[in-house]
Amino acid sequence: MKTLATRGVFVRFGEVDALDDVSIVLEAGQATMLAGPNGAGKTTLLKVLLGLVRPDHGAFEVDGERALVDNDWKRRIGYLPEAVAFSENLSGQQQLRFFARARGVSREHTEAVLERVGLHAARRRAVRGYSRGMRQRLGLAVAILTKPDLLILDEPTAGLDQEGLAVLWSVLEEWREQQRMVLVSTHDLALMERRVDQMCVLQKGRVLAQGSANDLRMAARLPHHVWFEVGDDDARVRLLCEAMEKWGKGRVERGEGIVGVEVAPEAILELMEIQSGFPGTVRGLRVEEPTLDIVYDRLLGVA
Amino acid sequence: MMGRVGRALVLHEFLERTRDRWVLVISVLFALLASAVSLYGQSADAEFAKLTGPSLVTLVSLFIPLVAMVLSHDAIVGERERNTLGLLLSLPVSRLEVVVAKFVGRALALGVAVVAGLGMVALVSDGAGAGSLAKLAGPTLLLGLSFLSIGMLISACTRRQVAAASAVVITWFALVFFFDLGLLALLVVSDGAISQQVIANLVIANPAGLYRIVMMQAFAGPDVLGDLGMTASLPGPIVVAGIWAAWLLLPSIVSGAILSKARMS
Repeated sequence: MKTLATRGVFVRFGEVDALDDVSIVLEAGQATMLAGPNGAGKTTLLKVLLGLVRPDHGAFEVDGERALVDNDWKRRIGYLPEAVAFSENLSGQQQLRFFARARGVSREHTEAVLERVGLHAARRRAVRGYSRGMRQRLGLAVAILTKPDLLILDEPTAGLDQEGLAVLWSVLEEWREQQRMVLVSTHDLALMERRVDQMCVLQKGRVLAQGSANDLRMAARLPHHVWFEVGDDDARVRLLCEAMEKWGKGRVERGEGIVGVEVAPEAILELMEIQSGFPGTVRGLRVEEPTLDIVYDRLLGVA
Repeated sequence: MMGRVGRALVLHEFLERTRDRWVLVISVLFALLASAVSLYGQSADAEFAKLTGPSLVTLVSLFIPLVAMVLSHDAIVGERERNTLGLLLSLPVSRLEVVVAKFVGRALALGVAVVAGLGMVALVSDGAGAGSLAKLAGPTLLLGLSFLSIGMLISACTRRQVAAASAVVITWFALVFFFDLGLLALLVVSDGAISQQVIANLVIANPAGLYRIVMMQAFAGPDVLGDLGMTASLPGPIVVAGIWAAWLLLPSIVSGAILSKARMS
């Protein structure tokens, strides 16, 4: 599978449009993050792909061909639901063996997956004694059991400690390397940003923005902060600040040994030209991009 | 024909249910009480079919519906509330197959409870009344399966597990206790306007009533109502089998239809 696309998906629950004309494209070897406030439609979109919610309108394409969400499709998907839960009375091993039997996976592979998610030592303990992070790891084990073409993860970082996160990152990396797809719904933007290739921001059931983190930064049109480390020659530094203020495309602030300029991303090159006129005064510089959380807030109109 | 997922789910449900504390407590209590009834019958030196058998029928008609509905009330609503239904339905399996597999897995657990209870009776009675116990086993299982099916329907219809548990208790009281009392009241209030035949038909429309009548016939003979001075007649085995089949299948089929139409919002 090289591409998976939803085309104009529309889902209505009662009076609420849970998804309204949602079209997204997932590509092999890429991890895509779905972001958006609660009720934006993230989980509904995942459920459409899982065949749990039948859309009122819209189509679903695999490699450009119209496809059905049937049992053959379900065999190609691994799913980690939000706040994953299991029967409390059974052990982690019994739970995973159930999914293994259901999907025709061998016992040896099941044990190996338990080992991979770090639950092998606790495999015989009843799930009621598992922490939230352990349950999440067990959920991840269920999702990756068959090495599915598409891994759908709903809030996968919830409750995971550093060790659990390391397992999650290794899974994401493996899926990308092996040209499979990952779709992650999350509120944890900062944590996920570096692990995904593209993002899709949903709001009130509509796609608000889609692309790489940089595309979204550009779309948000938020200023960047450029910090110049300057020398001790006060007169030269003052001249530099005056030149930048005269330029008029950035807000200049001066501190001890540092000059900061808040500037639109497309004006940064011009700013570099101005500073190049002051050789020896500028000793170093750092460009600070707005964090993804700020970009997200701007896109949603929160800030 | 059940697929791989369905078969795996049957085993999973069986394992899960046989580890449920409530099911274990009620099943053990049933086994202990059934054994006590059997021991009492032995000490009274009575014939099994005359004292122990009818007493066991009363006990079974109280306990087995309760065990069955405790087993099944959370089958669907429990998964929904624990947020595990989505994960289950993301497997390559139809929703109807999920309901059937859940029913079969829980029916096996119920079978263990019934066999354990009646097995204890056989053990403590030293094999006496084995024939009567054999007569009891089949209808007892049918009674349990009917209530298991009703529990599945309650589970499919409710949105919260606590609501399903309440509905199960109300249904149990209604069918096991109040149904017969209500019919009795109807008979008295109507002062003969409603015939005994109508009342008898209403009794056997209830699985608990049908069980009692079938077992009374088994222990006391086919003319049990006549012996009790009643003019009503009971239906033949085909009609009885039809009533059992209806109770067993209809609620489960409706459960499957409800789950199939449900949107996992």
